[in-house]
Formats: sequence, structure tokens, C-alpha cells
Amino acid sequence: MVTGAFVEVPPAAQAAGGAADAPPAGARSRAPWRALWRRAVRLAPPYLFLAPALVLLVVWTYRPLAQTFYLSFFSWNLVPDVPMVPVGTANYERLLTTPDLADSVGLTFVVIVAMLPFTLVLPVVVALLTRRVRGRAAAAYRALIFAPMLVAPVAGAAVWQWLLDPSAGIVNTLLGTGTNWLNSVDTSLWAIIAITGWHVAGFAVLVVSAGLTGINPDYAAAAQVDGASRGQITRWVTLPLLSPTLAFLLLMTVLLSAQWTFPLIDTLTQGGPVGSTTTVYYLLWEYGFRSHDAGLAAAAGVLFFAGFMLVASLLARISDRLSRYDD
Amino acid sequence: MDETAPVGERGGIARRAGGHIMLGLLGLLCVFPIYWLYATSLRAPQDVYELSVLPWPLSLDSYADAMAKNDVAGMLLNTAIVAVLSALGQLLIGLLAAYAFAAWRFPLQRPLYLLFVGTWLVPFQATMLPNYALLGQLGLLETLAGVIIPTLCSTLGVLLLREHLMSFPKELLDAARMDGRSAWGILWTVVVPTLRPVLAALGILLAITAWNEYFWPAMVLQRSNAVIQLGLRSFMGTEGNDWGPLMATAGLACLPVFALYLFLQRHIVNAFVRSGLK
Repeated sequence: MVTGAFVEVPPAAQAAGGAADAPPAGARSRAPWRALWRRAVRLAPPYLFLAPALVLLVVWTYRPLAQTFYLSFFSWNLVPDVPMVPVGTANYERLLTTPDLADSVGLTFVVIVAMLPFTLVLPVVVALLTRRVRGRAAAAYRALIFAPMLVAPVAGAAVWQWLLDPSAGIVNTLLGTGTNWLNSVDTSLWAIIAITGWHVAGFAVLVVSAGLTGINPDYAAAAQVDGASRGQITRWVTLPLLSPTLAFLLLMTVLLSAQWTFPLIDTLTQGGPVGSTTTVYYLLWEYGFRSHDAGLAAAAGVLFFAGFMLVASLLARISDRLSRYDD
Repeated sequence: MDETAPVGERGGIARRAGGHIMLGLLGLLCVFPIYWLYATSLRAPQDVYELSVLPWPLSLDSYADAMAKNDVAGMLLNTAIVAVLSALGQLLIGLLAAYAFAAWRFPLQRPLYLLFVGTWLVPFQATMLPNYALLGQLGLLETLAGVIIPTLCSTLGVLLLREHLMSFPKELLDAARMDGRSAWGILWTVVVPTLRPVLAALGILLAITAWNEYFWPAMVLQRSNAVIQLGLRSFMGTEGNDWGPLMATAGLACLPVFALYLFLQRHIVNAFVRSGLK
């Protein structure tokens, strides 16, 4: 995970800054100042190298995050000349009393759960299958499965709109049906989920394959010597050793599923029909840029951020526990 | 693969054939939409609704049609500018930051590092309104600069490069320092040449991501369709049933990425895997 152990690095700056031959402090009357200056010069380089990234980070991530929090207590329509009206917690009250939010959270939950077969089950099956075939073929299959990941989301949306076309699309022709997959309440969300799954499964396959090659084969060999069958080895040796990778994929699925669906929803269904594909992110987008209700959108943003933190820290804790297997 | 596989994984011919069949089917299923995209785009206009697997006779009419209806070439150029500039900017800024983290120990290092890691938890949607307002104040709405500038700090780039720099042989840095070179000089004469493969792979990954980016351009360029993803969207909205030119536009939107992928497959796959395993 991202929060890897902090690695101690020798203080390179001290030599590089030419501080080794600095005079002892207080050698002359101006020496304290000069020593301070030298100290600043010696300490400056890492901060200077870090500055551009840090400025961008503050300006484009942390400043707006704080401002969103502030904005969530105002009523404003995004027009610069129109003053912001303080409304206290009215935005939050509106959010929590209208059914929109609860509905979209429910839909998002469905999306996340329905994505798990694509990001966890399928990759494990594929990774186990690729161990049966020889090296070059395995790489070729992986390349094929990975290819959709490179398709731009909008291009993917376009081709799936054509594949799922109710009158002439190949899916309906093959099935002998005339279903309007993307425009009926019963199927629209599932169509979006399937397209998203097609898009991201290749990435998950690669991650699991990488995790699998990282497992020491001695464990399986030892289990075999003890008389374990292939299925038993997979179940009791390989999968537990793979669990940190799977936990990471679970975390990604939970945090990013709704993000992955956004371009598809925006281009294919616009949240409809009758709100059947309005996930939390699409709801936020609508509040902000369709209804121009900045305060409400900000309040929703704050709530989602809080939810995010909660889920992420929970999953990070779980994955910490899981990664202790390989000792 | 075979020598690393556990003994028990070496199976009979039936087992291997089963693997081939299942993986082959799955692979075909994954690639079919991409194939269909290009197959449709290459059919003659009157054949677009045909469902034969091979498009024949081949025709570029749909491409000509797409070019005539939309400024596809201009959009591709704009998108290429955005992708290249933002990838280069992200590489440079990420490299500088990663170098700072790896080569020095300084006060506040840990909190500053966590500030970078923390961006993973901030969903784009929680920051979009203030950013939109700021871009408006800077006069950058509806411009390509407005698309590029806010994305210039790639946390992924910083963390990935930091990890590589951490494993950089310290002896090399020490030797360069003995020669009396400055930190800036060491970065460009010692670190960058050694890191070239990593920088190339990361650069490609960042460029592909920027090329395919949708959310941010959709917000900044609400009134124009200057980049290909947005042009494609407007095409879908207005002429959704004109499948030939639509598939041609979509095909062109994916072509540069596929071309990169075919030539640099191994690098790209490695970069994607590493990005996931941060």
C-alpha cells in the first residue's frame, strides 16, 4: 500500500550544501546571523525541489477541499457576481431529508458489489488458469484481456451503445431480443456495470498475476509433499498468500467503482431513466453543474469525503491484518 | 512461467487445453468490442448495419464523413497537446519532488509525504466546485491551459519515482558529491540517465491517462469540444444513430493509445502494474 515504511536516508544535503567547513557559531560579531543564514541555505534545497509539487497540491487539492467545507454552509449559484448567502446547516438538512442521496448511495453500493466479480473473482480465475498454459500464450491472453483498459471511456461508451442498440445492435440480434438495455429502468444500471467491468477487469487481472508471481513456490511444493491436492493448495496456500493483493483490489473497487462509471453514465444514460443510474458522483455533478446549487453540491462533497475516509481507513486496517500471512 | 510454477501446477494435456479454451474465449470476449468498433468504421456506408464478422468491401468513407462533420484532426491535435504537456509537466514536477524525498532528510518530511499520499482520499468531486471557481477567476475556463495546469502534480508520479529513487545506489550519489557537483547537477547527470526506463514508462502511462481523461476536461470545457473525448460525446448526443462516422471517430480517439501499446507493450503493462501496487 501507499503508506509504506519510512526509509531513513543519509543526510545528503549537509555535504552538498558545503556546510562541512562552516565556521563555528560566534566566531565573529555577525557570526550568529551568518550561521543562521548558512543553516537556512543548507536546509533549503529539499524544500525548493519540493515546492512546485507542493504548491500545486495545496492550490488544487487542499485549498478547494477546505473551501468546499466552507461553501457547504452557504447558498450560491456559482456565478462570481452573485453574493453567497450563509444558510447554516440547511444544505445538510436538505440533503439528508430528500430521498435523492439515500437512493444514489444505494445504487452506488449495488455498483460496488456488482463490480467485485470483475475485479476480484474473474482476475483470480484468470490468474489460476494462466498458470496452466505456457509462458508466451499466457502473456498473449493477458494482453488481450488488458486491451479494453486502453480504450478511452467515451469511445467504449460509443461502441457499447452500438453493440446494445435496440434495433440493429449485435447483442440483441444474437439474443433475438429487442431490449433497450441502456434506456429501461430494469437493465440500465446492469448495462453500465457490465461495460465498466469490461473496462477495468484487465487491470485487475494484471495486478493479481503480479501478486501471484510474487508468491514463493516453496509453500505449494511443501504442501504437495505433505499430500495436499491441487484444489487444497489453491484454497489453503495460494489464496491466503494472495490476500494482501486482493485486499488492495477490494479497496480500489470500493473507492473507485463510482468514479469508473461516471463517464459512461454521463455519455450513455445521464443518470436515467428515472434516476436508475444516478450514483453519488453523478448526483454531485448534477447538483453542481445542472442545478447550479453549489452549496448543496459542496455539502454532498463533504459527506462523501467523510464516508471515503471512513471506508478507506477501515479497509486499510483489514488489509494490514491480512498482510501478516506471509511471515 | 513453468519453472516458477509449483510442481502441482504442471498438469496433463487436458488441463492445459481447458486453460487455453477458457482463456481464449475470455480474451476474444474482451477484444470483440474493440474489433467491432474498427470493423464497423471500415464498412461502406450502406453496409454499416450488416453483422458479418469481416467488413468487406473495406471503405474509408466513414472516416471521411467523420472528418467532414467535425474538426476531428483539430481535436486530436488539441488532445495530443494536452496529453504531452501534462505528462511532461507531471514527470518534471514529480521527479523534483521525489528527488527531495529520497536524497534528503529534512524537518516535516513525514507530514509532507503524507500530504501527497492523502490526495488518494480526496475524491475529485469534493474539490471540483472551488477549482471551477478559481479557474473562472484566472480566466482559464474553456482553455487548454485550464485543462492542463490543475493536473500537473501527479501524486502517482511522485510516489512511484520516490520509490525508485529510494533504491538508487547511494554510492553513486556520494561519488558525484565528492566530485563537487551540486544537487541540481547530480539530478540531471547521475539520476535522470539511470532512471530513463522508469521515466519513459511512467511518462507513457501519464500521457495515456491524460489522453483518456474525461471528467476534468468535461468540467473546464463545458461550451466547446476542443478535446477528442468531448467531441465524441457531442457526436453521440446529436447523431447517435450515425454509427459509421461515430465508430470512425471513436476509432481515431483510441488509435494513438493502441499504437503506443503495440510498440511499447511490455513497458506499458509494467507501468500499469506498478501504478496499482504503489
